[in-house]
Amino acid sequence: MSEKNGFEPKIIGFLCNWCSYAGADLAGVSRIQYPPNIRIIRVMCSGRIDPAFVLEAFKDGADGVLVAGCHLPSDCHYISGNFKALRRITLLKKALAEFGIEPERLRLEWISASEGDKFAAVVRDMTEQIKKLGPNPLKEMEVKSQ
Amino acid sequence: MANQKIGAVLVIGGGVAGIQASLDLADSGFKVYLDDQAPSIGGVMAQLDKTFPTNDCSMCILSPKLVTAGRHPNITVLTNVEVTRLNGEAGSFEVKLRKLSRYIIEEKCNGCGICAQKCPIEAVDTFNEGLSNRSAIYVEYPQAVPLKYKIDREKCIGCGTCFEVCKAKAVAYDQKDSEATLKVGAIILAPGFEVFDAKLKSEYGYGRYPNVVTSIEFERILSASGPYGGLVLRPSDGEIPKKIAFIQCVGSRDYQLGNNYCSAACCMYGMKEAVIAKEHTPSPLDAKIFFMDMRSYGKEFDAYYKRAQGEWGIQFVRSRVAGVTEDPKTQNLFVHYVEDETPKTEEFDMVVLSVGMQPPKNAEKLAESLGIKLNGYKFCETQAFSPMETSKPGVFVCGAFSGPKDIPESVAQASGAAAKAMGVIASKRGAEVAVKEYPPERDVSLEEPRIGVFVCHCGINIGGVVNVPEVVEYARKLPNVVFAEANVYTCSEDTQKLIKEKIVENKLNRVIVASCTPRTHEPLFKETVQEAGLNPYLFEMTNIRDQCSWVHMHDAKEATEKAKDLVRSIVAKAKLLAPLKKPLINVTPVALMIGGGVSGMTASLALADQGFEVHLVEKEPELGGQLRRIHYLLEKDSDPKEKLDALVEAVTKNDKIRVYKNAEVVDVYGFVGNFKSKIRQKDGEEKEVEHGVVIVATGAAEYKPNEYLYGKDPRVVTQHELEEKLASGAFQAKTVVMIQCVGARNDERPNCARICCGQAIKNALKIKETSPETEIYVLYKDMRAYGFKEDYYREAAVKGVIFVNYGDERKPQVKAENGKLLASFWEPVLNEQLEVEPDLIVLSAATVPNPDNKKLADMLKVPLTKDGFFLEAHMKLRPVDFATEGIFLCGMAHSPKYIDESIAQACATAARATTILSKKTLEMEGIVANVSEDLCSGCRICEYLCPYGAVEMKDKEGKTVAHVLEALCKGCGACGTACPTKAIVMGHFTTDEILAQVKAALVEVKT
Amino acid sequence: MEKNEPRIACLMCDFVFCQKEAQVPRNVNVARVSCIGRIDPVLILEMFEKGTEAVMLVGCKPPDCHYVDGNAQAEITISILKTLMSLVNVEPERLKLLWHSPTAKKSFSRHLTEFSDKMRKLASLSLKNINPDTDFLVNISAAKKVAADFRLRVLLGREKELTESVNVYGEKIPFEDFDKLLDEIVQTEFIRQKIHVLTSVKPLSVKALAEKIELKPAAVLSHIVNLRRKNMIAIDHVDGTTPFYKALEVK
Repeated sequence: MSEKNGFEPKIIGFLCNWCSYAGADLAGVSRIQYPPNIRIIRVMCSGRIDPAFVLEAFKDGADGVLVAGCHLPSDCHYISGNFKALRRITLLKKALAEFGIEPERLRLEWISASEGDKFAAVVRDMTEQIKKLGPNPLKEMEVKSQ
Repeated sequence: MANQKIGAVLVIGGGVAGIQASLDLADSGFKVYLDDQAPSIGGVMAQLDKTFPTNDCSMCILSPKLVTAGRHPNITVLTNVEVTRLNGEAGSFEVKLRKLSRYIIEEKCNGCGICAQKCPIEAVDTFNEGLSNRSAIYVEYPQAVPLKYKIDREKCIGCGTCFEVCKAKAVAYDQKDSEATLKVGAIILAPGFEVFDAKLKSEYGYGRYPNVVTSIEFERILSASGPYGGLVLRPSDGEIPKKIAFIQCVGSRDYQLGNNYCSAACCMYGMKEAVIAKEHTPSPLDAKIFFMDMRSYGKEFDAYYKRAQGEWGIQFVRSRVAGVTEDPKTQNLFVHYVEDETPKTEEFDMVVLSVGMQPPKNAEKLAESLGIKLNGYKFCETQAFSPMETSKPGVFVCGAFSGPKDIPESVAQASGAAAKAMGVIASKRGAEVAVKEYPPERDVSLEEPRIGVFVCHCGINIGGVVNVPEVVEYARKLPNVVFAEANVYTCSEDTQKLIKEKIVENKLNRVIVASCTPRTHEPLFKETVQEAGLNPYLFEMTNIRDQCSWVHMHDAKEATEKAKDLVRSIVAKAKLLAPLKKPLINVTPVALMIGGGVSGMTASLALADQGFEVHLVEKEPELGGQLRRIHYLLEKDSDPKEKLDALVEAVTKNDKIRVYKNAEVVDVYGFVGNFKSKIRQKDGEEKEVEHGVVIVATGAAEYKPNEYLYGKDPRVVTQHELEEKLASGAFQAKTVVMIQCVGARNDERPNCARICCGQAIKNALKIKETSPETEIYVLYKDMRAYGFKEDYYREAAVKGVIFVNYGDERKPQVKAENGKLLASFWEPVLNEQLEVEPDLIVLSAATVPNPDNKKLADMLKVPLTKDGFFLEAHMKLRPVDFATEGIFLCGMAHSPKYIDESIAQACATAARATTILSKKTLEMEGIVANVSEDLCSGCRICEYLCPYGAVEMKDKEGKTVAHVLEALCKGCGACGTACPTKAIVMGHFTTDEILAQVKAALVEVKT
Repeated sequence: MEKNEPRIACLMCDFVFCQKEAQVPRNVNVARVSCIGRIDPVLILEMFEKGTEAVMLVGCKPPDCHYVDGNAQAEITISILKTLMSLVNVEPERLKLLWHSPTAKKSFSRHLTEFSDKMRKLASLSLKNINPDTDFLVNISAAKKVAADFRLRVLLGREKELTESVNVYGEKIPFEDFDKLLDEIVQTEFIRQKIHVLTSVKPLSVKALAEKIELKPAAVLSHIVNLRRKNMIAIDHVDGTTPFYKALEVK
């Protein structure tokens, strides 16, 4: 696993428009620095995030996926989208192992529009954790099979 | 002859207040003339670097408003204009204006700037406060609206070069000043303020020592678009300072100068400048703030103060600085001050003077030509219960001209003034305005995607980290991208024009902007593409500032790579974008007002004045809220009891207002324009009402202390209880001790309760009035007598009220011994512990959020602050809006505030609500769910999942299929994700689009 | 040519050209130009840069200019050039303007000899600049840029019109005022160009620049601010608390 050293993970972040995306903006406004490993995809609501999106992301080579929405129970701009995300992502986490992906590569976080610092901390923490895990095993399999 | 009203308003002053008032009026069906003496609008806010307490970039949040005002079909912006005379009366004024020549034909100038490049003459750049030069032909700043050049006639030598180089033939040397007459129904004054001339405080050396600068100069120094490119430098030698002193109250709270008042915003901006200076300085920077009282009294301000001390390590010294001297060799500065009764001197590299606000230079002239009264300081005179009204009916005021204030206060007051103006001419709504029309939409369904990418430098906000030209080069090579270029500010008015040109020239059918956040700027760009004949949903944005350059400031290479990934990813999405239609929904022109205190009643009346019905729901048996407990005012300009009775009578008698007492709102359904709510009345009966907007005016409560023997000893009372005593004549005491900040500014409630200092001063003065012999001690942390309240603070001190400062580490002690009350506290001037035996201890108890807030917030789906007050959409520029459309807030539900501030906010909500209620139909967001009926299996999962009841089942040729009610759909996408047959397509966030975006973010696509 | 003879260039207006008939000292190179009013000041500075010790311009005696105002224009050019030369530390008398009539051939030879003699008494340019690689060349290349500056050229081109006739507003600008303005601009531009030349060699701090050009640091900073405004300079790096500036290439 020599490539673990200097390995820079690629993380896809699905962020809801109202809380978490705004939280990520606030991290910027507050100039809170975090590693440049995350690529943010804006969706209107965490309830929009289909487990299939997450699996596709892993298939396309993401080393980690962050799903972030408004705080439970009542911050959701769409009333209950965050609960939908909670159920879907929790189930998906359980199933991930069957695809040979460590469940730690997928994170569900509640980040509000006023939590720029939390957003940055999550990205920092996740980047560190995935660096330790090494690259997405699906990618390795692909390499081996070639 | 009957007075014919005119449905137009003149707004004098194009700062943020004037702009806000104009937008509210224009969005409510009135014609607006927005005038400014300067060549462009924007005012002082355009000069600021960042804004407190969110550290938002000032230009970033102001620019969209500038652009909207500049392009609003109902607003005519008149620049270089002064008002010379006013005739007529409320409803029908005739205003004479003088327009000073620009020597440029505005209609022809396209702001290309070639004239300024070729102009041989330099002049001092006043926008940069003289820290750099500009040409004799100029615009004030790059994002200026209108972006029209002007010749500085003082400096111009008349060489004729600009005329020769101007391709637009816009230069007209023979242009003369001109006179114009406007007919308007109302006038709003928003001329702002003048910065105090620091040279008048000669002891601080401004003008003699180069390294002493004013706070407004420092804003320019901090600004990325300022003279030093955002790096803090000493003007004497260009070195980065290691130690900066900030001196507060320069030109404020100064009896000798006659500027007795407090300038209200300087404590916060001083702190902010210190924080930003540290952020902008690559080497360690010590910042020390010399202050008298730290007046961080606004919403969440004390939390900022705490962060400034802790997280950012700013030092604070409570001292009035006696003078500043210079070391002529190093040009370092010695700040001389007294701390702990000891004279001290400290050396600094740079000194920033926090200069106060003064009335505008032309205040007297303006007052004379309009016939309005000024107060003793030459600010516009207003009264506590009518904060937007000048002495002349039909002429209203907002912003700093009515007294020093910060941006959100100005913005709220501006909306409030708009409501007042609307009230005068409500009958003429729509009479003077045109409907905005877009060109017919181009059908792009048969075209191959042709994507245009605009990458923003954002001054140096992006370009200083991300290699923008490299990103542009990269974008050019991406599939389907046929055009890409960089802009200094993609949001500027000239770039909008350019985008439209490029769409036409290059036959673009998808447009991407890579810049800041779509949360603030997407609407602007969508409108731009629509003006070029494209469906607005063929636009996409990616955020390479807030989520890239600002968070990877020290890693230019990685930030550039990330920016490329983000652009590649959004290009992949854009390729798949499809046009969407915006549904129209009807508006019920009725408001639901929750709370019947001074705010709720004021807002209700303002709406009723405009012809809208209001359901006013009050929990208590009586209307009036906290105002019922107020017996007299600090300002003494009116009797609160009389005002209360008048308000209650006006509300009760108004046939547009339906009052529900002893009632509460138990359920709110629906969305902007179409709410349905249940009001549970006294008898338990529930009544359903339909309304278009909701206004939250639920007020706040007085904290019930559990400290200082409150509740255990009857001689310990709160300020409200003291006021009752004073009003009823039950007050009797030889010695009174007042303790400030009880239940506020502590660990549990870190923020200031704002009104208790004023209450203490008010009650102390009342005591001195009725019982001059009574000894009064006010134990305080900071006396926050901001604005003109400083006068009363001074009056109290002159009348013998003893003010004693205490810190957190030395809180006053209160005990009862042998039937005697004892208060002991540290006296910092005498440097000893004092003990007094008061007959009465008065606790300035905090104002705490209404305990019902949580329940109501959940019902309305709106957020609360950590403290439990309602949280507005944006602390600076949207002080009375919630993020959810159609719901507003005002008064103490927002945060503690004085009556005039509550009234300003209440009227503001009325204006904001009118922008909705005045329309028959609202155009909704086009991002909604769509059912492909062929694929739908009729399983009903979506119907069950939709929180808005926007999905209904219907029969289609014998088959049950789902159908989306577009007006109810909010576009969350929960149904689309759950649909087992993938029959639901989410507009603008289709599965294909999202997956393409994900894939391209991870994988380099080969062309 | 003898070793110590100063190299002198003589630029002559076509209409007075008379080299063949006149006695020309061997150290003087005579060249024809169409009209000395059209001479580019940059050209003159370049001559000094390349080792010419003195330049004499010979034009038609006023009011005999074939191009109407050429000789008046020449006077303006010369005046700017003299200002620049003193900034560059080259004695202004090394540039001489001679009004001449084609008929007076003898006097032309006399003028040339006199000028040559006078120049011989001045120290050689290359000698008086002990460190020619820096000071002199920096100065002259800054001066050349000033002379080439568009804005200055505009003013030069308009001086006569603006001072003798009226400007676009119908006002007449007194000659002295205009001259003063022009002088100020030349001085300011010269310093800015010098900062630009110096920082194009290597990044320099405000203090270092202030020492090199013997100006107060505050003044240097304000020049840098204005150079920056025109995208002619940028911060290269910050060393401790000292920013270093590097010239940007001007497109």
